[in-house]
Amino acid sequence: MSNYSMVIVLCEDRQHEIFMRTFLVSRGVHTRRIRVNIAPKGRGAAEQHIRTQYPKEVKIYRNKCNHLNIALAVMIDADMRRVADRLDELDASLTNSELDRRRPNERIGVFVPKRNIETWIHYLMGEIVDEITAYSKLEKQSECKPRVIELAQKCNQPLDQEAPPSLHAACTELVRII
Amino acid sequence: MLKRIYIDNYKSLVNFEVSLNEINLFLGVNGAGKSAVFEMLRKVKCLVAGDSKVIELFSFENCTRWQSSLLQTIELDIEGNGGAYQYKLTIEHDEKREKARVIDERLHFNNKPLLVFEGGNAQLYRDNHSKGPKYPFDWSRSVLASILPRSDNTTLTWFKEWMDHLVVIQIIPSLMIQDSPKEETQPSDYFENFVSWYRQVSQDQGLAFKLMTELKEILPGFEYFKFERTGEKHRLLKAYFNSEGKNASVGYSFGELSDGQRMLITLYSLLHSFCSDTKLPYTLCLDEPENFLALPEIQPWLVSLYDHCMDGDVQALLISHHPELINYLLASPVGYWFEQQSNRPTRVRSISADNEDALAVSELVARGWLNE
Repeated sequence: MSNYSMVIVLCEDRQHEIFMRTFLVSRGVHTRRIRVNIAPKGRGAAEQHIRTQYPKEVKIYRNKCNHLNIALAVMIDADMRRVADRLDELDASLTNSELDRRRPNERIGVFVPKRNIETWIHYLMGEIVDEITAYSKLEKQSECKPRVIELAQKCNQPLDQEAPPSLHAACTELVRII
Repeated sequence: MLKRIYIDNYKSLVNFEVSLNEINLFLGVNGAGKSAVFEMLRKVKCLVAGDSKVIELFSFENCTRWQSSLLQTIELDIEGNGGAYQYKLTIEHDEKREKARVIDERLHFNNKPLLVFEGGNAQLYRDNHSKGPKYPFDWSRSVLASILPRSDNTTLTWFKEWMDHLVVIQIIPSLMIQDSPKEETQPSDYFENFVSWYRQVSQDQGLAFKLMTELKEILPGFEYFKFERTGEKHRLLKAYFNSEGKNASVGYSFGELSDGQRMLITLYSLLHSFCSDTKLPYTLCLDEPENFLALPEIQPWLVSLYDHCMDGDVQALLISHHPELINYLLASPVGYWFEQQSNRPTRVRSISADNEDALAVSELVARGWLNE
């Protein structure tokens, strides 16, 4: 991973944050070079937070990326939508803010767990999962860390076929920022 | 871990009760009673440690003014040692004679007594809950303070050790004394004794090395700490910084560092020292820990503290008005809102922040809309 001066993590909730932060640190980003922008807790607030913050963060990224080594990592649950729909929504939020859609060479990774982050976590913990079921939240959110570290350590290798399709899709996003 | 605090008849705290998590943020307007909770914890810790007599800690002036009760009570519920402790202390004031005494002190473990002090007599119980010695005791002190560890009172003395691991501080760098006359194990109220405390903890060379490695990332040019002898027992803490293009480092005494630098050193020292005892985790009560810190320094320290709390290495109770702490921490349900109207008891409630406006919680607080 590049020696970033700052990686902004824009995410919906604490579980997202712990997942992303653990992953980035495992891939060599210094903890002090991660800045978390986490949604306030509340009904519907998280999704709205991402939609409103994403164009702002992209605009800032584009203003700074020529002279600063920075990246933007976004995590938003697909919930009952398709991963592609979520990516389209975020692209639309850029267009609505009179910004260009995300370009292939930009270090902006958008990670969309489907159905949500618990799907990925339960898969990483060895369960067979689907992307329809709403899996239980962890009692301790930090319990996912060892599995996320494992994922980070072998993320250059192809994922198992049993991995959720949204995690496969995340690997293509990862290439943008590592 | 401290699970519950109950305080009655101390300043604005009347029948005050709060249940706690691994990490907790106390919020509220000025004068709502947040720091009063910390004060009471500090007083009980001092009393149980035997550092002071009741009259030196508890004053009638601190009873709730609009009440006439002469009794002050504090209860603590602690989870640990494979069970649940309940500690209760009641102080009685004599306004005319300006005196105070312990009229009731009791400690239970899993609802069974370990100590009951009432009517001037202390009844101890052994680990197997059989009755131990009963004897008259001084009303001016905590019975716990007088009890020494024995093979049959390990459950009781675990509680005393937990009390040692309760740390209540408001760090004020300008009050720190740079010259240490002796090693000290406990931080003082405003951490005036940081250098003496660090002198003691830095004897663990692994800990000191880890701390200095981390500080190198944080303080530009920082290389190491060194204690310099300034008298037979006195030591001066110096921080050495490299000079560009020169081999020799330049040393600055601790008092020469800025408030912000001293604050950073102190906060990371606390993390390294108090998060390393996984056998009996510390409970760390910090009043406005972000004071003096540059904005980019707040979140990294807070994230590190949060991780340690979630990993069970330490418990934290924080008082803060800073948006960085509020917005980061209140993405989880760990906030408590304190409110108090003039001459009315403090009320506290958990902040659910059912926030459909996607407005930052700190902004809700600033606008006075948290409850709207």
